Amino acid sequence: MNQPISKIRSFIFENFLFDADENSLGNDDSFLEQGIIDSTGVLELVDWLEETFNIKVQDEELVPENLDSVSKLSAFITQKTK
Amino acid sequence: MSQEPSAISHEPKAMSQTTIPSFLLRSAEKFPEKPAVFHGNKSLTYHELSSLARFQAYWLISQQLGAGFRGGILSDDPFEYISAYFAIQLAGGIVVGLNTQTSERSLKTLLADSGISVVFTQKKFHRYLAPIASQLPALKLIVSDEELPCNGATSGWVDRQATLREDLPIADFPAVESEDIAQIIYTSGTTGSPKGVMLRHANLVANTSSIISYLHLTENDKIMAVLPFFYSYGNSVLLTHIAAGGSLVVNQNFLYPNVILDEMVEREVTGFSGVPSTFALLLNRSAVNKYHFPKLRYITQAGAAMSPKLAGQLQKVFPAVEIFIMYGQTEASARLSYLPPADLERKMGSIGRAIPGVTLKLLDRDGLPVADGETGEIVAVGDNIMAGYWERKQETDQVLRAEGLWTGDLARRDHEGYFYIVSRKSDMIKSGSHRIAPKEIEDILHEHEAVHEVAVVGVEDEILGETIKACVVLKPGVTCMPKELILHCRRNLPAFKVPHEVVFLNELPKTATGKIIKQQLMATEKADG
Repeated sequence: MNQPISKIRSFIFENFLFDADENSLGNDDSFLEQGIIDSTGVLELVDWLEETFNIKVQDEELVPENLDSVSKLSAFITQKTK
Repeated sequence: MSQEPSAISHEPKAMSQTTIPSFLLRSAEKFPEKPAVFHGNKSLTYHELSSLARFQAYWLISQQLGAGFRGGILSDDPFEYISAYFAIQLAGGIVVGLNTQTSERSLKTLLADSGISVVFTQKKFHRYLAPIASQLPALKLIVSDEELPCNGATSGWVDRQATLREDLPIADFPAVESEDIAQIIYTSGTTGSPKGVMLRHANLVANTSSIISYLHLTENDKIMAVLPFFYSYGNSVLLTHIAAGGSLVVNQNFLYPNVILDEMVEREVTGFSGVPSTFALLLNRSAVNKYHFPKLRYITQAGAAMSPKLAGQLQKVFPAVEIFIMYGQTEASARLSYLPPADLERKMGSIGRAIPGVTLKLLDRDGLPVADGETGEIVAVGDNIMAGYWERKQETDQVLRAEGLWTGDLARRDHEGYFYIVSRKSDMIKSGSHRIAPKEIEDILHEHEAVHEVAVVGVEDEILGETIKACVVLKPGVTCMPKELILHCRRNLPAFKVPHEVVFLNELPKTATGKIIKQQLMATEKADG
């Protein structure tokens, strides 16, 4: 598993999914549709992304295409850190 | 809908003009083909919505649940929620909208307390319902899109499609009077356990009509509805726009505010309603400054006190839009006062004056009126005041007294009759010999550029009784030391109001409607410095 993905999964499990079962979150599962995170949770997630990966998330980038699944987050981080 | 409307478009004989379902039926008669509700890329016309509600009402009547049965709705699908809402009332029942952020325990409490006999729900909520169904003797029917296992339960599952059949014998709707209870709304419980507020048809009709008049709502209005329908603010957004023959664009998932903003532009909405945290998110964490909303004409804000700074920011971002600051509580159906947009600047921080049809008094503890400029409790009189708390006579008698509804909100009134909230009675901090309103300290802290959100609470202290603690969420990417904020307070407040402690948190604990749960902050440990 690549680094961003495993870090992201750990963060999500520690802060939002208290279910220990790894299989309960697919990398392509939509946070929006599955109700995994609420609106303040997204802000927490973004703060953590910025701190952990040393990136700045612009207001226009706060969209599902960039944030709404583990895979999308990983792709977004990769693109921002190129 | 494939069936021709002619067989079922007659006005139900027994439905009075002064009941809530008449709003839907009248709008459906006037604007049958007009979209009433949008959700995603789907929509329902008034005729379709009215038909769904009627079919479900016919089905409910056939189940013989008894006059005044409680029908629960646990759904995040607005089409399902709204059709079930009107169906339950058309069938002579009482609606109980259930919070979709739930748990087995909280759901069981609400279902048991209100004696719900039928619940309209979806598969995603089965994991909460299935384990408790057998412990709810009053629950007979669970209407859902998929079967759920209810081992040992007296309740049975009904496929939602079966309640929407067009070939059920057309029933006469039961006689529903304006004094009948239409709805029970559970309060969000920032102070103690949730209580069921009983609202009559007459309460909701009065409040709906009053709000429509001061917002100047017409059939040309289209609101971006982001607030949940199961609470009184979202409930009033729903009823007012249906009654006016307007439209609702529903997206109650505020995860990505930019998505909401896109929808507002695409659908050309004329209105938007939010609570303070809605606007804090929009203004601090979305691209709202890059958008244009040419059709937007009104924004409403209620749910909790919004800081004057946030209100000012909102005005700057939406200069051409009328901003209505409003105040009320569930016990008043929703609305008690509003601040006319033209007064927003000169009366910044005010909740305005009573809405049409309501009288607001300011009384001291003995029930005597206080003078302008003095602090008293807001006591309200009007047709919108609740019937009482469901099966809680003692709590009801504490607030519904001879003078009217004692709101629990302390305020003062200026010489022009504009009200200013001082504090929720229960939020007052008693430190030394002083009674301190947290709001004043919160407003000062909001003015500091590093602060995103703040809640000030009293913490038990052996010597002072209580000390003042400020719980602060900083703006993203900003650093600040507690000392800076304390200094800022010292410059702007009398010494006894300066917080003894400032703690930084990642977020403030909130209810589903975005109200800060201060009780949790009194107990909280410092998260980080």
